[in-house]
Amino acid sequence: MTELESVAVVDDDFNPAAAPKAREAAGARAAAWGGKGLNAGIAIAGILTVIGIVLWGMQLTGGMAQTAMRNLDSWGLYITMFMFFVGLSAGGLIISSVPKAFGIRGFGGISKVAVMSSIAATVAAIGFVVVDLGQPLRVWELFAYSNLGSPLMWDIIVLATYLILSCAYLWAQVRAEAGKVSHTALRVISVVALVCAVLVHSVTAWIFGLQQGREMWHTALLAPWFVSSALVCGTGLVICVAAALRRAGYLALEQAQLARLAKLLGAFVVVDLYFFGCDLLTEAFPGGEGLAVVEMLVSGPLAPFFWGEVVLCVAAAVVCFTPSLRTTPLLVAASAAAVLAILCKRVQLLVGGFQLPSLDLAGPVTPMTVTSWESGMAGAYQGMVYWPAPIEWGVCAGVVALAVLVFLLGLKFLPLRPKAE
Amino acid sequence: MHYGFAIDQQRCIGCHTCSVACKIENNLPDEMWWNRILTDGGAEMDIPAGEFPNSTIEYVPVNCQHCENPACAKVCPVGATYRDPETGIVRQDVEKCIGCRMCVAACPYTGVRSFNWEEPQFMLGMDLGDEDVPAHQKHTVEKCTMCYQRVAKGQEPACVGACPARARIWGDLDDPQSEVSQMIAARSKKQLLPEKGTNPSVYYLV
Repeated sequence: MTELESVAVVDDDFNPAAAPKAREAAGARAAAWGGKGLNAGIAIAGILTVIGIVLWGMQLTGGMAQTAMRNLDSWGLYITMFMFFVGLSAGGLIISSVPKAFGIRGFGGISKVAVMSSIAATVAAIGFVVVDLGQPLRVWELFAYSNLGSPLMWDIIVLATYLILSCAYLWAQVRAEAGKVSHTALRVISVVALVCAVLVHSVTAWIFGLQQGREMWHTALLAPWFVSSALVCGTGLVICVAAALRRAGYLALEQAQLARLAKLLGAFVVVDLYFFGCDLLTEAFPGGEGLAVVEMLVSGPLAPFFWGEVVLCVAAAVVCFTPSLRTTPLLVAASAAAVLAILCKRVQLLVGGFQLPSLDLAGPVTPMTVTSWESGMAGAYQGMVYWPAPIEWGVCAGVVALAVLVFLLGLKFLPLRPKAE
Repeated sequence: MHYGFAIDQQRCIGCHTCSVACKIENNLPDEMWWNRILTDGGAEMDIPAGEFPNSTIEYVPVNCQHCENPACAKVCPVGATYRDPETGIVRQDVEKCIGCRMCVAACPYTGVRSFNWEEPQFMLGMDLGDEDVPAHQKHTVEKCTMCYQRVAKGQEPACVGACPARARIWGDLDDPQSEVSQMIAARSKKQLLPEKGTNPSVYYLV
C-alpha cells in the first residue's frame, strides 16, 4: 500500500497550469470524435467475437480433443488467459478507486474509462473459464450443488461480485457527477470495490497456490504476488488505454498525470520482481524439487518466458524511473512491455505446473495422455509440455474480441468522458 | 468400512492384465486406462534404468489411490468427486461433472484422472463389462471407481481376481483380520508420495 499512498507525494513534476489548456484542445477535437473509427472497431470486434463463438461451438461439438490439452497437461491457453485477464481487470478499478478511497488526488479524467476497462477485462476472464469448461450447460450446478470448500467456487463467487460491483461503481461515479450520489457514498463504494479487487486476485491465486500436488504452484507467496502482478499489468493497460484515448481526442490527460501513473507502474514492477526473486530463492535454496522448478524456469523449457519477463520488466522499470525517458511513446512501450511480461509470467505458471509431474514414472501413452504423445513420455517433456492448438488461438481471439467489444460499446454509449469544466 | 489395496511389487510382472480387466469391466472408451502399470526405471515404459548388467526396473501399478484426504474432492466446485464415508471409496459422479478439470490439476498422482476429450469411442461395437457401470460421457472426468458396482454387490474389484501373479490384494483396511490388513502388517510397505499428505488407501509391498 505504501506505493499507493505515496501517489500524492511523488508527483514532483505535476503542473496544474497545463491542465485547462490541454482540456480545451482536447475538447475541440472531441466534438468530432466517436465516428467511423469507433464504429469500425466495434464491427471488427463483433465479427471476431462471432467467429470465436462459432469456434467454441466446434470445440464443444467436435470435442476438446481438438485443443492441445490432454490428461497430463489438462489446462492450457484458456486458463493462462483467465489468470492474465483477472490481472488486467485490477488496474482500472484500483487506479480509479484508490484515490477516492483514501481521499488523495486522482489521475484526472480517466477514472470512469479505467473502470470500464476493468469491466471488459472481467468479462473476458469469466469468458475464458466458460470456454474451458467441458460441460458449460451444467454451470447451473455451481449454484445448486456448490462445494463452498473449493477455491474454484470461491473464485466464481468473487468474480461475479467483482463484475457486479465494477458496474455499480461505474454507475455511482456517473450519478455522483450528476450530483445524485453523495461523496461519502462514492467513497464507501470505492473502499468495497478495492477490497473486492484485492480478494479477486488472491482467490485466483489460491486456485493454484492451495494445490499441494504441483510443486511450482504450492507457495503462500502466490496470492500477494498475484496482486502485485495484477497491479503491474492493470496499470500498464490503463496507461496504454489513456494514451490511446488522449490521442483519439476522447479525453484530456496532462503529461504529468501520465508520468505519475508511470512512476506507480515502475514501483509495482519492482515489487513484482522482488516477489519473483524471493520465490526463486525459497524454491531453490533447499535443493530437491524446488531446485528443479528454478532450473526449468532459468535454463529449461520455460526459459524464453522467464527471461522475457525479466528483461521486459527491467526495461519497463528503467523507462518509468528515468524522467528524461518519460515521453508518451516510451511510456506506452514500457506499459506494453509490463503487460507482456505478466503474460510471460502466466505462461510460466500454467505450463510450469504441468511440466514437472509429481509422479514422474513412464507408462503407457495414448493420444489422450499428453500433447506430444507421439514422441513418448520423455519426448513430450523435452520442450514445453503444452503448446496451444489452432482452435484455442481462435477461441482465445474471440474472447479477447468480446472484451474489446464491451469496452468500445462502453465508450460509444456510456457517459464515460470526463465532465467538461 | 475402509476398502483399500495392497500391491505386491515383488510379485508384479508388469503384464497389464489388471489394466485390461479394468478396461473390460468398466467398458472404458478407446485410449483410456484407469489403471496403468508404470515403470520405475528408464525414460520409457519397460525400459530399465542404468547400464547392463547393473540395470534396475520395477513395476508400479497405479490407479486412483482412494486417499483418505483426497486433494481432488476438496477442489471440485460441485462435489462431483467425493469420498464415500461408507466404503472409503473416492467416487466420481459423471452426471454432475462440469468438466473444469480442477481435480486433474489437484491430484498429485499424475495421470490417474482421465478426461473424455472427445465423444467416447469403443473399439468393439458392443458394450462390455458390468451393466451397472455408468455410461461414459464426453467432456467429463473419470477415474478408477474401485469397481463400485462390484463392491456394492459384495464382489472384489475386477483387477484383483484377474492378476495372474496374485500381486493385488483387496479388502477392508479397518478390519485387522482381513487379508489385506495382515499383508500390510506383515510386509514392509510404502505409499505413493506420502509427503503430499493425502494418505492413500493403496499400499505397495516392497
